[in-house]
Amino acid sequence: MSKESMKMMKTPDKQLTFVINLNKCLGCQTCTVACKRLWTSNEGQDYMYWRHVETAPGLGYPKNRRAKGGGYKNGKLQLSKLPEKESYGIPFEFDFAGRLMEGKKERVRPKPTADWAPNWDEEQGKGQYPNTYYFYLPLMCNHCTKPACLEACPVDAIYKRKEDGIVLIDQQKCVGAQECIRACPYAKIYFNQAVTKSNKCIGCYPRIEKGVSPACVAQCPGRAMHVGFREDKNSGVYKLVNEWKVALPLMSEAGTGPNVFYIPQVLGPSLEDAQGNLTNQSRIPIAYQQELFGKNAARALKTLESEREKRINGKPSALMDMLIGYKCSDMQQISGKK
Amino acid sequence: MGTFNRRDFIKTVGVATAGLVFKDLLSLNVLEAVQDPMKQYDYKGWEDFYRNQWTWDKKTRGTHGASCTGSCPHYVYSKNGVVIREEQSGDMPLFPNIPENNPRGCQKGECAVDYIYAPHRIKYPLIRTGKRGEGKWRRASWDEALGMIADKVVDTIKDHAPDCISVYTPAAPAGTVAFCAGHRFAHFIGAHTHTFYDWYSDHPIGHTQTLGVQSDSCECADWYNARYIIQWGANTNQTRIPDAHFINEAALNGTKIVSIAPDYNTSSIKADLWIHPKPGTDAKLALGMAHIIINEKLYDEAYLKEQTDMPFLIRSDNKQFLRESDMVEGGSDSKFYSWSRKTNNAVLMKGCWGEEPPVKPPIEPPFLGRNTLTFPKDYLKLGDLDPALEGSFSVKTKDGKVVTVRPVFDVYKEKIMKDYTPEKVSKTTGVSVQVLTKVARGYATAKPAMIITGGGTNHWFYSDVIMRSLLFLAALSGNTGKHGGGVNHYVGQWKPVHLPGVAALSFPKGNAKHRFGQTTIWSYVHGEINDGMKNTALDVRKYLKESLETNQMPLYPKGGKDPKVFIVYRGNYLNQAKGISDILKNLWPKLDLIVTLNFRMDSQALFSDIVLPSTHWFEKTELNSTMEHTFIHMIEPATKPLWESKSDWKIFQMLSKKVEEAAAKKGFTKFNDEQFGWERDLSTLHAQMTDNGKLIEDSAAAQFILDKAPQTKGITLDLIKEKGPQRFKANWTAPIKEGIPYTPFMNYVVDKKPWPTLTGRQQFYIDHKWFMDLGVELPLHKEPLDVDKYPLWFNTLHGRYGMHSTWKDNALMLRLHRGGPIAYLSPDEAKKRGLKDNDWIEIFNAHGKVVCRVKIFAGEQNGRISMPFTPELYTDLIEGSSQSPLPIRITPTHLVGNYGHLRFRPNYYGPGGHQRDARVEVKKYTGPTV
Repeated sequence: MSKESMKMMKTPDKQLTFVINLNKCLGCQTCTVACKRLWTSNEGQDYMYWRHVETAPGLGYPKNRRAKGGGYKNGKLQLSKLPEKESYGIPFEFDFAGRLMEGKKERVRPKPTADWAPNWDEEQGKGQYPNTYYFYLPLMCNHCTKPACLEACPVDAIYKRKEDGIVLIDQQKCVGAQECIRACPYAKIYFNQAVTKSNKCIGCYPRIEKGVSPACVAQCPGRAMHVGFREDKNSGVYKLVNEWKVALPLMSEAGTGPNVFYIPQVLGPSLEDAQGNLTNQSRIPIAYQQELFGKNAARALKTLESEREKRINGKPSALMDMLIGYKCSDMQQISGKK
Repeated sequence: MGTFNRRDFIKTVGVATAGLVFKDLLSLNVLEAVQDPMKQYDYKGWEDFYRNQWTWDKKTRGTHGASCTGSCPHYVYSKNGVVIREEQSGDMPLFPNIPENNPRGCQKGECAVDYIYAPHRIKYPLIRTGKRGEGKWRRASWDEALGMIADKVVDTIKDHAPDCISVYTPAAPAGTVAFCAGHRFAHFIGAHTHTFYDWYSDHPIGHTQTLGVQSDSCECADWYNARYIIQWGANTNQTRIPDAHFINEAALNGTKIVSIAPDYNTSSIKADLWIHPKPGTDAKLALGMAHIIINEKLYDEAYLKEQTDMPFLIRSDNKQFLRESDMVEGGSDSKFYSWSRKTNNAVLMKGCWGEEPPVKPPIEPPFLGRNTLTFPKDYLKLGDLDPALEGSFSVKTKDGKVVTVRPVFDVYKEKIMKDYTPEKVSKTTGVSVQVLTKVARGYATAKPAMIITGGGTNHWFYSDVIMRSLLFLAALSGNTGKHGGGVNHYVGQWKPVHLPGVAALSFPKGNAKHRFGQTTIWSYVHGEINDGMKNTALDVRKYLKESLETNQMPLYPKGGKDPKVFIVYRGNYLNQAKGISDILKNLWPKLDLIVTLNFRMDSQALFSDIVLPSTHWFEKTELNSTMEHTFIHMIEPATKPLWESKSDWKIFQMLSKKVEEAAAKKGFTKFNDEQFGWERDLSTLHAQMTDNGKLIEDSAAAQFILDKAPQTKGITLDLIKEKGPQRFKANWTAPIKEGIPYTPFMNYVVDKKPWPTLTGRQQFYIDHKWFMDLGVELPLHKEPLDVDKYPLWFNTLHGRYGMHSTWKDNALMLRLHRGGPIAYLSPDEAKKRGLKDNDWIEIFNAHGKVVCRVKIFAGEQNGRISMPFTPELYTDLIEGSSQSPLPIRITPTHLVGNYGHLRFRPNYYGPGGHQRDARVEVKKYTGPTV
């Protein structure tokens, strides 16, 4: 990290941390919509989803997101090309009033013609029937410990908050250079053409400051998310990430130290043989989850399996209790609880 | 919606700004110095920009009155008079040791605010100027629009009959006051209303046949109590989003999860076992499981003897139950026998239909076959009686004839043992013997075990047989009526727990003085539906004729007249109609006047003559509840009704005033309604509607409903406003217990009172002639209909991005999938037809055609095509809609209305016109796409 950007890179007192349990994610996009209606319904923001859910395996949003590049290689900042505007999907516009109120003949069609959108390949997955596989993968800004965006910003508009580790783009200081977009390996920074500035997930800091969980967590009907500060050793996020080691970072090889962690998909049927009999083989290749969440995914899956087995046999499991999350307040531990 | 955003709205209507926008950021420079006490960074003042975005000046209770079973309590946030967003209120009360019911919601419910300011929001009364469906309107005053309707209403009564007018609205629990509004209006003028639960093919008619109840299910929190869950033709992760977490949490708690569905769906991906039978073979699969359970003696014999008709005796000579009237002079034809193993003779079973309870019950709830609650507790207990489940016995009838009799179980078991061996079942269903055995043993040995079923099984022509087979599994394993057990289904928004309050407001003179139409029959007859069944062995016309002539089922108008006036509100009748091409061709022209009340221009409104603007859900006072949980909550107005909109409750009041005026003008203020001996008075209609001014406000009507139902008595609007959702105090077939999720049927299983059926038991044998005609006196697998000679099943499913048609016109929802209606096809079937992903395709059969885009889905089974049902007709469909290739096909047994607990009551028993057996072909569409 350059000397200049180190100035912006204060070590936070606490790090806001998210854990997303893929076993409980419904793929319903409630988080996507909750976030959109709260933060990104203004001009220039139609195409951006600070939080979205995609199908894995899949092309992602923007298209071919995983091949984008960015982050660090051998400690050196990498800048990718800017994703094409089309790869995000041009937001469809619809002329409801024309057809329904003004008597225009044309049906209400998406414009431009629909051939790509943020969730275009929903559930298409991989494999051949009946042994196909897919699961849902929510994505958001990782509020990284070593944010590549921060280092890439030529005008020091990006900073990491001392009080909670949230990474923000100062909307006054941003000049729209888009270097942050090139630097982010997760493709979670968006250029707002209406104001020529970069926008991204703000970790719902106005809510955090009031002790209210971020919208994507508080509004998740699947109850799939945990939020808290990792410095709090009693928090679910600390226990899941540091003690149980079942919550793993996505694309940690990009070297940014993400603070959103994923509990890999352990639920799901096994493979069938040609006669339709069940085998003991995992339907989702373990190697695929390792590709996403690193080598430790195998160990995490084993832990999850053996802890669930305890509950199947009527024995207690503190891990399963934590994942069930009987009370929302057990899953959402930010200062000054709701 | 569309190009709309809130800023546009603000510009358009000129209200104060709802919040800062990016362009205002410069003005924040001044804030910087004064608002940064932390001095951490020299520019942190800008952060107020987003802090300001998360502010509001008004927070009100709200929820979504779509025909949705979620019933999710929300707060609605407004600023400067503009409704800005909604968020779950998160205050659903907790059950100990069960995961929280919070935060109930879904992606659709978090953008319902969009409809308030949508470009196709109906703002003013509109009168059609073009052809029906063209979308050409002129703005009218309320006075003019209501005056036209009132004139037509009075003329129709005068020149034809009041039952030539009908009022349609679905789903009472979703918007209870509004639901009552049109019903009350119809009640006072003598028009008929419509059923909806059956018409949408959602009513699980096998539940009524077996259990004598309209239907009843556990609240979803009870799912967590199950140790084994089979999602059978149900996809909760997609269609029951607010409650799906209970299943995934149960899985983490060690409950085994099975998903039975032809496609690898959103719920299958999290199941321990995914079983993918060939479509329509569910009953075969269920009885294959029964075979293994019986063979391995894994069934609960005591439960079968006490709780079911399995020990009841059937005569071998005529396949009828052995009745008291067979044995004793003057005996009842509704009392039945079992065979006592101890005394070796036929003995009468207690609690049958022919037995009156010691105290006559005060009310007969319309959702039960009969009210058995005044029977003493433990009435079904067998005591010393040990009825035989197996064997063949002889009895001498009153005529001296010696007849062979066998218990139902003996007869049923013989068939199951013969025709449902694992090998035979495997061959029919495509499910391997290994998998079949695994699920049978797993289900029978886990206690409690639950089946959750849905539209996947419920929409077949023989859906009742499938449901009865599932209920048989639950009976074999002793699971019905137990926490975490039973067969539960959540299709359709059908259950106002507080029904007495709804009925009191809707039918002030009582249900007996109200005309309840049966919508499937009404649509089938007046739409002159071509069902393709003529000259088949299942020609329903014969049965329908007899059913109508003997008053088993109703048809309005009476006397062969045509319907004339059709008033639809809170519903999208046309868009959802099976046989839609015949409906448009034949029914629509019969209607002199079609009126629709709505806040958005849906397809029903588009094809109407007059459209009246009703309020958005957030602009009125309303009650909301569901069967998915046992709490009632409310909406309070976040804003006054926008533009010229008014609540449904107010609109029908205004209409009643105009009918008064029209009646006076035409000198037709009073008429005698012979059917009810009711001298109707149109000159005081408004006073009748408002109970002399007492019920003018929506809030007064809402409180009236709460007060009139024992389930909600003592709950007030103020209490809900202050404290949040309130639990019902009673329920339909089991008590409400503090801290415990509701499980139905405990009145019968735990208290052991007779079931509300003919036999007083869970009744699997139905000895009605029409059931025998179809070979379904017992639930035995029936092959799906083989009427449409096309290769692919046409599966219309509940998609993720809409609640029926609602939200299918929401830009954000459309942006989050493919911008328009799609159908899913397997890669093999696509390849065979030269189709690529996103191609335009024609899905067609002899009934109709829909042209939409295809999505290649590797999780789809070969041999079918699946389309999320009922997109709006005007969305990106080149032709038709999902309902175009689907005729209304009436199952004859659903027309029975003369057999114990099988009789017509609205939404309790009647045909659904099930559509799932339709088959189609698919080809590439090559016509113009613009």
